[in-house]
Amino acid sequence: MDSGKTLCSLIKAIQFQECAVFCAMQEGLKLTVEEGKCVQASAYIPADNFNEYHVRDDVDVMFKISIAVLTECLNIFGSAEESSLKMYYRCEGSPLLLVLQPQSFSNVMTDCEISTQTAESVLELRDEDTEEVAKLVLKAPAFLSLLVDMEKTCDIIEINLSPEHPNVSIVTYGMQDRSCIDMPKSSDMVQSFNCEKSVTLKYQLQHIRLIMKALAVSSKVVLRCSSNGLLLLQLKLEKEDQRQMFSEFYIVPLLDD
Amino acid sequence: MKFRAVMIDAGPMREFTNIVSTISRLSKECILRLSPDKIYLIVSEDNSGPAPPMLWCEMPQSTFFLEYQIVGVDDEHKDIYLGIVSANLSKSLVTLKTAKCLKMKLTKKQCPCLTLEIEMPSSTSQQSRQVTHDIPVVVIPRKMWSEFHEPRVPHPDISIELPALKQLRTTIDRMKCMSPEVVIRASAEGRLTLQIKTDLAKVSTRFKDLRVEAFEGPIDHSDSETETQTMEDVSRTCYCRVDAKKFSMFLSADQISHNRTICSIVHKKLVILCLQTEENVKLQCFITGIVY
Repeated sequence: MDSGKTLCSLIKAIQFQECAVFCAMQEGLKLTVEEGKCVQASAYIPADNFNEYHVRDDVDVMFKISIAVLTECLNIFGSAEESSLKMYYRCEGSPLLLVLQPQSFSNVMTDCEISTQTAESVLELRDEDTEEVAKLVLKAPAFLSLLVDMEKTCDIIEINLSPEHPNVSIVTYGMQDRSCIDMPKSSDMVQSFNCEKSVTLKYQLQHIRLIMKALAVSSKVVLRCSSNGLLLLQLKLEKEDQRQMFSEFYIVPLLDD
Repeated sequence: MKFRAVMIDAGPMREFTNIVSTISRLSKECILRLSPDKIYLIVSEDNSGPAPPMLWCEMPQSTFFLEYQIVGVDDEHKDIYLGIVSANLSKSLVTLKTAKCLKMKLTKKQCPCLTLEIEMPSSTSQQSRQVTHDIPVVVIPRKMWSEFHEPRVPHPDISIELPALKQLRTTIDRMKCMSPEVVIRASAEGRLTLQIKTDLAKVSTRFKDLRVEAFEGPIDHSDSETETQTMEDVSRTCYCRVDAKKFSMFLSADQISHNRTICSIVHKKLVILCLQTEENVKLQCFITGIVY
């Protein structure tokens, strides 16, 4: 890979836990982080982002790794520096090897051996049987500023989606207040809106706030709600070279009391 | 005891300010030693007690000052040693970058003071303003001078030129987050390796094609854990394990415009970092090695 910079910012965006599950597939790399059993965040780096990408297809390449160490290593020459990156992994129990070389200095290189652990299984939150009840495409920077505006002390966020006006209304409940943001589908930040019948979903605001770092580096966000209330946010990060990286957040809803 | 000095050139003023501000970030207190031909800034390690200086900076007075007069206690003791809060000195010098003239003198007010008179040009008129700073100092008695002598160091096994300090600092700062200690390894072939090892990761950054100033080999590695994976001749490399924070602190000196920085290593015992500037200022930092 010619530049590890975007990769690093993507991984930083899901860095809310110490460890991540690193998974290499034919299609690309995936790093997954879980918060309790409630939030699952993944970073996808499609294989076409790499100049060269080889995975043995007869074994599952999957291990646990410290995400903090990984980001420090990727950033070893500072965030201003573009550096080329090579990654190697031999087999279970062996460390993940990184070789970094900055583009503006030729006389220096870094190699890192990051120890790995056997991964526990990753939560399977997606349920094939439930149908999708709503899909929303929003502009990421606008959605981020909306989340920034929300009162930090609130615990609960309620998202109401309906085919009628106002199509989206977001209500937060705090200790003493209740605030509401309406967002009709004609709004600039809504790029597409799909909802057949109205739904009301409740989440912990704290969980929703975990996506803010990812929103900051992304251009577009897709919200999908399934009939069991599971919220899926897919964020797209566009790079200068037209290639894309993604991050994905599954958020489990609050149950009604 | 008398001391009076005048500085009027913009270049030295800027440099003096940068040096003092770098030192003030490294340590709360420092010793200002004035002698007939040089002025010194000396920092000892914070955990007080008789420890050799950690940072040693010497500046030839003639390149900085237009006038320089000093009278010591008597003919045998021509120097003056002053204990000073480094932040006080650096804050007073902030305005120096645009000043026309700096007068420094030792005065006796309520307590001994280093008085700085800075003449500032006015932006609106021909007249200039005069700002006076009185910085309280402690005059160090003669019997304690010996604590602030230049540390006598064993002859280094290798001296190698460091790469750009800024680049080195970003790398060290990343490493510092992962491990408190870093191993500095230098080889006679001009390679410098910074390495950390923790339970979670092993990271090494290698610089090559650096100029080797001196090499006093071969190095005796008989008592160290041998790492046979290295291809190079171990007798031509030496290393020292040091506190990553101290190393990073010295590297913040990159804002002083410097000619070159030399890293000297006494195998497993000591790292001496020496920065030299155009004006013959020498800033040396002594970091003792960590041995298990």
